[in-house]
Amino acid sequence: MNNAISKRLIGGGSCMCRRLYSTPTVRYPAAPQATPVRLSQGDAVADWSHFHNNNNGLLSLSQHVCAARMSHQKTFSSMAGGTMNVFDRNMKRKQKNWASMLPDTQKYDYLRDEVGRRVADRVYDIARTFPLALDVGCGRNHIAEHLSKDIVERLFLTDISENALKQKKESEIPSRCVLADEEFLPFRANTFDLVVSSMSLHWINDLPGAFRQIQQVLKPDGVFIGAMVGGETLYELRCSLQLAELEREGGFAPHVSPYTAVTDLGNLMGRAGFTMLTVDVDEIQVHYPGILEVMKDLQGMGESNCAWNRKSMLHRDTLLAAAAIYQEMYGQEDGSVPATFEILYMIGWKPHESQAKPARRGSGNVSFDELGKLTPPSSPARSKGQ
Amino acid sequence: MSATNVWTRSRERMRRFPELLAQCGSEAAAYGKCVSATTKSKQELQRDLCAAEFTALKRCFATAVKKGGK
Repeated sequence: MNNAISKRLIGGGSCMCRRLYSTPTVRYPAAPQATPVRLSQGDAVADWSHFHNNNNGLLSLSQHVCAARMSHQKTFSSMAGGTMNVFDRNMKRKQKNWASMLPDTQKYDYLRDEVGRRVADRVYDIARTFPLALDVGCGRNHIAEHLSKDIVERLFLTDISENALKQKKESEIPSRCVLADEEFLPFRANTFDLVVSSMSLHWINDLPGAFRQIQQVLKPDGVFIGAMVGGETLYELRCSLQLAELEREGGFAPHVSPYTAVTDLGNLMGRAGFTMLTVDVDEIQVHYPGILEVMKDLQGMGESNCAWNRKSMLHRDTLLAAAAIYQEMYGQEDGSVPATFEILYMIGWKPHESQAKPARRGSGNVSFDELGKLTPPSSPARSKGQ
Repeated sequence: MSATNVWTRSRERMRRFPELLAQCGSEAAAYGKCVSATTKSKQELQRDLCAAEFTALKRCFATAVKKGGK
């Protein structure tokens, strides 16, 4: 490949080379089994350990590696655009299909029903009738059952799992099902007045892209109301499995997937072109008898791990150890263990000229110092009346 | 009803897991304390740091399985 370019990269920033180590030079100080987030290139390993320019041995080696791996650099730099490949979407489809075929599948709906109800509540906050709405990742139709047809007149439901769509709960809103991946919405731009989504966006590889697509299919002045798990969700399960694997096997694998932080959500939505953003967090804690019930329920919800770098099995010793640790570290007095779900809600609007704009800079005529002295016009009258 | 196979058998075993673990409450607590102590102190968690506690827990668990037997 082009030697001049590879030399410039090493001499200059060396930031590319840092990512392009071959496996033998990679050292993992803490966790020997932990594999970094795998990008789509199987043979290039993302490594963030320290790289010293003054180390000649490493330098010459990395120069060699760089020259050999130049072909990957384009893909890497395009990945900075936001296309990650963390989740096995096909596996997720299978898991959801399997879960919705369970004879007692409605038993595992409690969390989705609750979040769906809260999303529907936010739809009611907007004093408007929506002629055409879209539910992205509807599952078994958990939002629409809390909505009335005076608010949403027609509804499109999409999900990646055909079994979930077949088993969907009925609602009074005339609806139509479309089997579609949330990452590739098959709708024309400027179609919907409202897009809702509940508990499905956290399995999407390309979240910025998905937001962009949702923004596209919305009509101008349309609104997107979504909910997804994120933040510190399931930290109890994550910690106890990590500790158990560390103590039993000497390293840990990712069992609970990476989540979007609430601080990033606003930026993501802003970048996708939404305006007037509202983001808020809700914490739902569910109490279970033990770790196995947590995992069984997650499986029943179709929320099993589907990261590409997941481990295919959990050793029985590790499971026993994790159960003991979970109980000891997080157990309540009554013997139950909590599992925390952090639900991130987001509301964003597609821009339209009728929407309120920030006032022109310098147009204000009241100082912020006087804010405390300002009184709303009606308040003195009301206090007189009392 | 479907016949018993390896999946139904292993699910049956997993279903009994919580009650078996409940029989080893003190051993589980001892092991859990040993591991969770490392999260608060400077001591780094290493492989087999709590091997003795785990052996006790496992032995108790195995006894419970036998006692519960088929």
